Amino acid sequence: MKLLNTLLLSLLLTASLQAAGETLHVYIWADYIKPELIEKFEQKHGCQVVVDTFDSNESMYAKVRAGAAGYDILVPSSYMVGLLWQQGLIRELDRGLIPNAVNVDPEVLAKLEDAAMSHSVPYATSYGVLAYRKDRLKSPPASWSALEAAEVRRRACVLNDMRETMGAALRSLGYSVNSRDERQLARAGEVVKRWKKAVAKFDNEQYKSAIDSGEFVLVHGYSGDLFQVVEENDQVGILVPGEGVVMACDEFVIPRSARQPALAHAFINFLLDGVVAAENMEWTGYVCPNKDAMARVSREFLANPAVAIPEGVRSKSEVIRDLGKDLPKYTKIWDEIKAAR
Amino acid sequence: MSMAGKVRRPWFSRLVFLGVLLFLYLPLGVLVVNSFNASKYGGRWDGFTLGWYEKLRQDEATLAALGNTLKIAALATGASTLLGTLAAWCLHRYRSRLQSLHLVVTELPLAVPDIWIGVALQLFFIQAGWDLGFGTVLAAHVTFCLCYVTALMVGRLQGFDMQLVDAARDLGAGPVQVALRIVLPVLLPGMIAAGLMAFILSVDDFVITFFVSGPGGATLPAKVYAMARTSRNMPVINALSTILILATLLTALLGHRFLKPKSA
Repeated sequence: MKLLNTLLLSLLLTASLQAAGETLHVYIWADYIKPELIEKFEQKHGCQVVVDTFDSNESMYAKVRAGAAGYDILVPSSYMVGLLWQQGLIRELDRGLIPNAVNVDPEVLAKLEDAAMSHSVPYATSYGVLAYRKDRLKSPPASWSALEAAEVRRRACVLNDMRETMGAALRSLGYSVNSRDERQLARAGEVVKRWKKAVAKFDNEQYKSAIDSGEFVLVHGYSGDLFQVVEENDQVGILVPGEGVVMACDEFVIPRSARQPALAHAFINFLLDGVVAAENMEWTGYVCPNKDAMARVSREFLANPAVAIPEGVRSKSEVIRDLGKDLPKYTKIWDEIKAAR
Repeated sequence: MSMAGKVRRPWFSRLVFLGVLLFLYLPLGVLVVNSFNASKYGGRWDGFTLGWYEKLRQDEATLAALGNTLKIAALATGASTLLGTLAAWCLHRYRSRLQSLHLVVTELPLAVPDIWIGVALQLFFIQAGWDLGFGTVLAAHVTFCLCYVTALMVGRLQGFDMQLVDAARDLGAGPVQVALRIVLPVLLPGMIAAGLMAFILSVDDFVITFFVSGPGGATLPAKVYAMARTSRNMPVINALSTILILATLLTALLGHRFLKPKSA
């Protein structure tokens, strides 16, 4: 009887918790917003923010596509934004409610499909770069060809991500990372096959610990992750290939099924504030393309080579876009690479 | 029994035993050790720290997921134990033409892969217009825990002496009295064991939860999965896992005590 009472009580508690006040549901990557800033927003707006996390654009898309309602903000990568928009799963933004959108760096916007920010606002950017062990490699070239050097043979890895790695190969040849030209793609495929012979493996998760421990001497990874490794281990250096790199941009969008669209707009506006964004990016390690905030961040942050992407490389870097019906061209070559020995 | 009269030392079975122990527990050992490692990536030993436990204490999102997990597990355990025991009782006590069909329907989900149940439940909830979230995760957990509880209790009831009920009725006990004073006390150890089993299953479940969770309904396994790829605080998971391993171990030991049949 006691057990039953406890159960009923906890059921009631849960129900009452869910009913209290306005609640904003954010669906985002893990550890992507500084928790103190969320608390600040909660106090300012007298609401509750519940953060749910996803591990990949695809699993988030599957959930939203299946009809999961109740998320008020999603933070997908830009190629997924296009798809969500085409499918009518996200809504047009009311720019009047996001005055801080003027802070967004026009240079980054110019690379995006939704440059007018009609349905998405850039949140954070990351670059696919290389990291190396300073104690093992003497002055490796700042180029994708570093992956083919004899001294890194079997001691390097590249991302196990089709668009990232194919994109890097396309850039190394001077082609667009969104190329639809089959001849260009075939040549890029040859490059990746050469890399495959040289590197130890394709990897998405272990490269951070592998470069930290010295198991690998050269890894291909996301600048935001490598930022943290460099912060912790001074034996690790960043190489930004001069041919240009793949740029990822995660963006705020508001799903059509959102229950709190007004609060969602307020949340986006809050995180675009210069002071808030500066504090946020120093915590996450990912650069917010926010002009006002970039003027406020500390010098240490700007000095981290994973942040300070040279101007010349930035202009040669591109954002991955949704290729729609041309995507199978990539898949076919990627499958060949995976099957090659 | 060896033909030579002398019992051979079972070195091979010992070797297998050691191998199994090593394979099962060495990875857990690495995880526990790394939860005290100052290095963020666990690639090398950077010194002892309790920092990850401190970070865990402050990590509200992870603790909220843990809270969700425990709430759902507790509620699912209560509901599934009650329903499962009743189902088992009816299946055992009353015979009908559809008896075996009933049993199969109740226990089928044990054999069906989690991913099917997950997808099916997700589609069902969405079709029914039920928002994915805490409620749907709870409903799903009650559903699959129910199967395990029923299966366990049906087994338990095989050893239940129905004459006890008849004797009590003969001596003038009403149905409620029989249920509360005879049936419940006899079945209670089994119910507790089944309940603990349900609790562990609920805490453990990832696949089904992955499909049916929605805003605010994420449980710890789902949260850990999302963190594994992008989190800057992975060792927090090591710290939490260490605590959970301990808790699970204790629960399992407790369950074992109840599962052990009393010596007659």
